[in-house]
Amino acid sequence: MAESKIPVFSAKWSEEEKGKWGLVVDQDLCTGCQACVTACAMENNIPFVGEEDAAYGRAMHWIRLERFWEGEYPQVKATPFQAVMCQQCGSAPCEPVCPVFASVHSQNEQLNIQVYNRCVGTRYCANNCPYVARTFNWRDYDRPEPLNNQLNPDVTVRRRGIMEKCTFCVQRIRKTEDAAKSEGRDVYDGEVEPACVQACPAEALVFGRIDDPESAVSKRMQSGRAVKLLEELGTQPRVTYLKGGD
Amino acid sequence: MTDKLTRRDFLKLAGAGAAATAILTGCGPASRYVVREPYTQMPEYTYNGQSTYYATTCRECPAGCGIVVRTHQGRAIKIEGNKSHLVNLGKTCARGQAALQGLYNPDRVQEPVRQNGRGSGDYTTLTWEDAVIVVKDALADNRPGEVAFLLGLAPDHLADLAAEITAALGAPSPIRYGAYGMFEARNTLAEAAGRVLGNRSLPVFDLANADVTFSFGANFLETWLSPVAYSRGYARMRRGTAGSRGHLVQFEPRQSQTASKADEWIACIPGTEGLLALALGRLVAESRGGALPEAFLDVDVVAIAAASGADEETLRRLAALLAGAEHPLVIPGGAALGLSNGLETAEAVLALNALLGNLGKTGGVSLTPELPVHAGNRRLPNTLVELADLTEKMKAGKVKVLFIHGVNPLFEFPAALDFAAALANVPLVISFASFPDETAAQSDFIFPDHTPLESWGYQFAAPAADRPVLSGSQPVVVPFYNTRATADVLLAAVQALGGDLATAIPYKDEVEFLQQSVLGLVTENGFFNAPEINTFWAQWQQFGGWWTADAALTTPLAASALTRSLRLPEAEFEGEGEFLLHVFPSPLMGDGTGANKPWLQETPDPMTTVMWNSWVEINPKTAEELGLEDDDVVRLVSPFGEIEASVYRYPAIRPDVIAMPFGQGHSAFGRYAAGRGSSPARLLPVKINGAGDLAFSAVKVRIEKTGKIRPLARNESRLGVYGEE
Repeated sequence: MAESKIPVFSAKWSEEEKGKWGLVVDQDLCTGCQACVTACAMENNIPFVGEEDAAYGRAMHWIRLERFWEGEYPQVKATPFQAVMCQQCGSAPCEPVCPVFASVHSQNEQLNIQVYNRCVGTRYCANNCPYVARTFNWRDYDRPEPLNNQLNPDVTVRRRGIMEKCTFCVQRIRKTEDAAKSEGRDVYDGEVEPACVQACPAEALVFGRIDDPESAVSKRMQSGRAVKLLEELGTQPRVTYLKGGD
Repeated sequence: MTDKLTRRDFLKLAGAGAAATAILTGCGPASRYVVREPYTQMPEYTYNGQSTYYATTCRECPAGCGIVVRTHQGRAIKIEGNKSHLVNLGKTCARGQAALQGLYNPDRVQEPVRQNGRGSGDYTTLTWEDAVIVVKDALADNRPGEVAFLLGLAPDHLADLAAEITAALGAPSPIRYGAYGMFEARNTLAEAAGRVLGNRSLPVFDLANADVTFSFGANFLETWLSPVAYSRGYARMRRGTAGSRGHLVQFEPRQSQTASKADEWIACIPGTEGLLALALGRLVAESRGGALPEAFLDVDVVAIAAASGADEETLRRLAALLAGAEHPLVIPGGAALGLSNGLETAEAVLALNALLGNLGKTGGVSLTPELPVHAGNRRLPNTLVELADLTEKMKAGKVKVLFIHGVNPLFEFPAALDFAAALANVPLVISFASFPDETAAQSDFIFPDHTPLESWGYQFAAPAADRPVLSGSQPVVVPFYNTRATADVLLAAVQALGGDLATAIPYKDEVEFLQQSVLGLVTENGFFNAPEINTFWAQWQQFGGWWTADAALTTPLAASALTRSLRLPEAEFEGEGEFLLHVFPSPLMGDGTGANKPWLQETPDPMTTVMWNSWVEINPKTAEELGLEDDDVVRLVSPFGEIEASVYRYPAIRPDVIAMPFGQGHSAFGRYAAGRGSSPARLLPVKINGAGDLAFSAVKVRIEKTGKIRPLARNESRLGVYGEE
């Protein structure tokens, strides 16, 4: 009997299992410049929503920089900037709640992907994401002519009622893998650069294979400063943070 | 075919193989005059479905970073950093990323127009032939002394061409000015370098290799001089070299983004930065023993500690840190130089570098040699004094025709300069703006230049790399509208005029001028070598510019750096208000040209996370005393004007200082910029410091409540969804 083609959504990723792609965010190097935020928007055809919707918290940033204050003047300190994007959880809380399998795990890249043409906009996934990493298209946002000329043909343009989030620039992963395959070689470390990593002036973002112990990402993950966000929830994030400030 | 290669894979691979040949080759030789071809006869280097990449220069600020633009079937899709470019090594900032929204901005000036009555918005379309005749007549019908050029900050090919034309014509040299230079007081830093280091130019601070760095107001992670280069330097300082983490101390009244990344932030009283440098110098010199240098002889550490708001113990600890460092570095910049004693502050800080013995050393202060391209031309912008001279001439009716390019005076200049009245007194104003900005709206003609991504050109990169860099520009797409390069318009007018001028300016077009300009580099020892100009030009386009093969910074001659006596006059302030006004260029809006790019508007400010608006930062304690909450609209009143803005209670600012970002508050400049926020340029004084730069920080303002509330769109208020706010 042929295997069922319907994906099974029990949390079956085990603790030991390593995903392929991972991101390291060095908070000591991050200068908070927002280049990643803008680069992400430019690469991924993210619409701008305007002042009013932004004030309602509907801005569509797939990546944001968190900054908190500690203490009072003059002993006041801004906490190190913390770039938060989809953590590409190994055991993702957004996946089991989707009634239409729009939020699913890709077998190839072991990424948490969003299938736009399945999404019916229940927003259950966003409610269940502990990182507040998902953004929802509350409207068909206007992109007046000729701004549409800069749309990236590699990335689907989403419309009203669709949930979206960081994809680790999966289009770049696929493109690089294809190019490597056509040259009969493996993808080398550092070859795949998501838009945020590519732009980052301080090189605070590093991307690569976390199942390759020799990769720059794996080496940084061994740092004593390495932490994961809300690790206690058991989400097994693919993003590692290197604590900053000392 | 192996069983693993599916049909889908095969099709993808067939495409990918073709892609590899198309990267970074630049336009073909026929591309000097770019034409738009129909898809049926695409140029042979363009494949359907494959991207082509062109190297050019980012013109969003005057730093001169190299970028590579991904284009797809004639459209610019994405801006990426140029990895071989020595200013930014493949990296970009948020402003560079959003530059495409300038190219494809829905509110561009699309064709040459005459405005029937300034400010009327009633335009008549002209042909470019008519436009050239207008420029030609403007040059022919007026005495050379009555022609004036006002250009932007960047030392680029147009500045060199305009300088050549004005020199041949006998007209005054072009004036170059802009908000970035104004808020960095660039001439002040250069003048101090001239006095202390013996070379009047902007020094390079080797942040990457310093182990202890003190910054006196230089906001190098945001907008200062070359932010991407200095951000990279910052990262290397933290982690890169020898595994030791560098230490950064920032002295300034408001904790900027740079200060928020520093290990220590000293919230000194504005105007005492130079005193602190002198006190640290004296303490370092004392700890080393021997005779005290003249520069630090007359320094009273106890008095300075009292005057600056930093206690003596802290000063002694910081001095010990500097004295014990292997590669100490101190940097002057930002608002500290925009004070009446800004020049003396810069001198004191540079003298401290000389005392620390880091001149020309790794992790120290160096100078960038000049390139043999129009050598001798001024690379620094003009001072406020020179700009005020032009304004006075305009008011007196001594300027009959004014050409404006690359700057938006009615927005960027302090309103107290009253440039608007001066402009109204000029009979003929010709703007070359690509966007309908405030100044273009008050011009007689708008002859729109291409936007930077459609343009040829070169620009001297701001000193930040380890060698001089001439960054090259080429069109990455066919001009989208009926625009024309300003250089081509000027050259056509000069040719139409004929006579001696045409003989003196023999260039057929912009590209010929560029090639003639860089001719001197062909024989230099560059990182690429070419036997003649055409080969050189092909590589110039491919790599996005030219730089020397080896690191080539020079050591300042600091013969008199420590033997000159340094005295710091007390900073003077205009106005009777109770708050010192601290204005800083927004890292996203910059000099105001970011405001028409919707994605920059929606990118949160790094420190406040505010989007789409301007705000005024007040210490929470002060706000409490005044009974002010977040989003309350207040009126700021200086002797020169008043504006309204919403309050943002900012925890990291001195209680006697209020801060405001520059960049919003446009009354024109397209749908995304106009009518949004307010501009602190209306509050600024026209006070100068010792170098002739604007002392923009030298003003006190009063706060008045308006009773209105205007909520700011902030990213941070959303984060604790179930928490406060």
